[in-house]
Amino acid sequence: MSTKIYDVIVIGTGAGGGMAIKTLCEAGLKVCALNSGRRLDPEKDFRNHRMTWEIKYRGFGDPKTRMKDTPDFLDSEYNQGAWEHDIGYRTAPGTKWMWPRCSAVGGKTNFWGRSSARFGDIDFKAATLDGYDTDWPVTYSEIAPYYTRVEKMIGVASTVQNRPSNPDGVYLPPFNFRCLDMILQKGSEKVGVPYLPDRLAQLTVAHEGHPPCHFCGDCTFGCEVGAFFSSPWFLLPVAEASGNLELRTNAVARNILVDENGRASGVAYIDRESRQEYEVRGRAVVVAASCIESARIMLNSKSRHWPNGIANSSGQLGRNLCDHLYATTASGYLPQLLGQPSFPDNVSANAIAWMPRWQNLERAHEENFVRGYSVYPDGGCSEFPSYHDQIEGFGSSFKREMKRRYPTPVSLTVQAPTLPSEKNFVDIDPDAKDSCGIPMARIHFQWGDNELRMFQHAKQISADVMHSAGAVLEYAADEPEMPGYSLHETGTCRMGNDARKFVTNRFGQTHDAANLYVCDASVFLNCTDKTTTLSILAFTLRTSEYLVQQFRQGDH
Amino acid sequence: MAGQNIERREVLRILTVAAGVATFPGFSKWTFACTHIGNPLAHIKPAVYRPIFFTTPEYALVEHLTDLIIPSDDTPGARDAGVSEFVDLTVSRDPELQRDFRYGLTWLNMRSDETGGKTFVMLNPDQQTALLESLAYKKKFRAGDEPGRKFFDLVREYTVMGFYTSEIGLKELDYPGLRFYAESPACPHKDDPEHLHLNPAPSR
Repeated sequence: MSTKIYDVIVIGTGAGGGMAIKTLCEAGLKVCALNSGRRLDPEKDFRNHRMTWEIKYRGFGDPKTRMKDTPDFLDSEYNQGAWEHDIGYRTAPGTKWMWPRCSAVGGKTNFWGRSSARFGDIDFKAATLDGYDTDWPVTYSEIAPYYTRVEKMIGVASTVQNRPSNPDGVYLPPFNFRCLDMILQKGSEKVGVPYLPDRLAQLTVAHEGHPPCHFCGDCTFGCEVGAFFSSPWFLLPVAEASGNLELRTNAVARNILVDENGRASGVAYIDRESRQEYEVRGRAVVVAASCIESARIMLNSKSRHWPNGIANSSGQLGRNLCDHLYATTASGYLPQLLGQPSFPDNVSANAIAWMPRWQNLERAHEENFVRGYSVYPDGGCSEFPSYHDQIEGFGSSFKREMKRRYPTPVSLTVQAPTLPSEKNFVDIDPDAKDSCGIPMARIHFQWGDNELRMFQHAKQISADVMHSAGAVLEYAADEPEMPGYSLHETGTCRMGNDARKFVTNRFGQTHDAANLYVCDASVFLNCTDKTTTLSILAFTLRTSEYLVQQFRQGDH
Repeated sequence: MAGQNIERREVLRILTVAAGVATFPGFSKWTFACTHIGNPLAHIKPAVYRPIFFTTPEYALVEHLTDLIIPSDDTPGARDAGVSEFVDLTVSRDPELQRDFRYGLTWLNMRSDETGGKTFVMLNPDQQTALLESLAYKKKFRAGDEPGRKFFDLVREYTVMGFYTSEIGLKELDYPGLRFYAESPACPHKDDPEHLHLNPAPSR
């Protein structure tokens, strides 16, 4: 191995890693990026533009090898091989956790849901408002300029909405409302619930050299033309063009290396194919492997200086794991649309509208829970008519009813944040090692009362909305989806000013090792009612520029 | 990423062409999809399908059941769409499904034997319909038929999966996805947001 010393080693190439890599390379720093999986080839790996009958098992996957550990709306025959099944993990007794991971270059940004709302002071100062947990070490005014720059970079389609929980940003023209949105919006109005265009990082018009969306509808299987934000379409090509990036694929990071002063000096990784171990040296290290994986790498980085793992002198590394509770709070159909001609209602494979948080806005304790949740509506003519089990019988009458129902399905999904809890954390399983010989992460997680109350509340409101919209309610989930299902985990490396209580400072720089940074959702204090990607991008842009500044000052 | 950049240029080139074409009225299918739709190779099938898992009589019964569940009437049905081939392929990959299908087919023939002294396919059409109705409609359920009802649900599920993912099935629904739309599809009934005054759909 060469003894070349890079300026920065970045672990991960998703939203956080990709933004860090781009920003650092553009600033002229020499970056070595490690990615645990392979590169994807959009033409070969994204099969979303194939019709179902052109795929061997029609998109349902080979029953013999179908994977059960990742939701099939993500991991299917359409992008087989892109999701991680080789590297294992453990759950503590009593914990159920589904951990969908995409190890391919670009990570989950290849397949994400694209909802892109800003966090606001109602999130950052939530502890002051409701007395629970602790405030973030940043204010909205401080982070807002980074949100603006990210929105301009990636293109977000929405409208200015003046919602108390949702600061507005800079938007491309919104997605148009479809029939089902018009009907549900009317129903929501009667119940006093907002129903608005979502904030989608999906290009309604050409943007910064990226082509506009053509609304074909299978986005969640990966976009062959790059019409929604993903790291491989938007960030990595810029970094590569700078000439400052060396990307090593199939490089599974094992631990952070340290020098004689306990500062980060590089990364040890295992080559996934040969199982050989390699080391790569850098003046600074950015960990952006996603929340649980980042914690695992740092917990596995034990040394004389850091016997409990690097950046863990607070004992908080791996702690405060949060997630979004997801559940179908109502589903059924709109009889108004029975028998209407089919209509391209599946334009973005999932929600184009949202019902942004409307609870606990005037006062922090209006409801029997603190903070709030959002709801995503969905429906329309889908690729597969999954409502078939709601129709009895067979023969021509069954076939006719299948057709009549086609434009009518609707469903509502709640996105409710968990509160940080001592019970929810990640540690290292003392016995289990993965296929690369690296000690496995062990996940401890239970839903708490607050999020379960939100779930019940959302079910009641969802039923009211369906009723007011004239919909027929056929189903509401008794139980939430398994924890982890949302892919929105946060925490484990929380940021804060007090080195005794937090893993990183307000810039994502670890308190213990000044040249070690964390650039993913693990630095977030909690998961809020919004999705994480836009905020990962904004916080990472800020951290990366701070890092560049440290280099310019000669600190790294 | 170098590889992706090359592809991206190529994709952009094609998209630019597609965007130009899209301004002409009547163009509704995206060019990429067009290369797949109607690919003649996809339609070449051997004259007689040789089942992978099912025996010849089992396969005949499966095919017949799919035809009863989604018949060819004023539009093509499951038999036209080759649904039984999909069922055979899928079942051949899963031992649990194999057991359930084989048990269910046997159950159905035994039940037919009790009613008409014949296997299911040898019953007359009215007898076949009556037997399936007793498995399909709650108000016609008969005690002791639980295994048959479970099997009917299974075979109907796989028929639906096979049919509505076939070219014929998606045409039946008029699946509107995987096409090129120049802008995000908008509700055409802005003057009737609650959609209470839509024209009834034409009957077919």
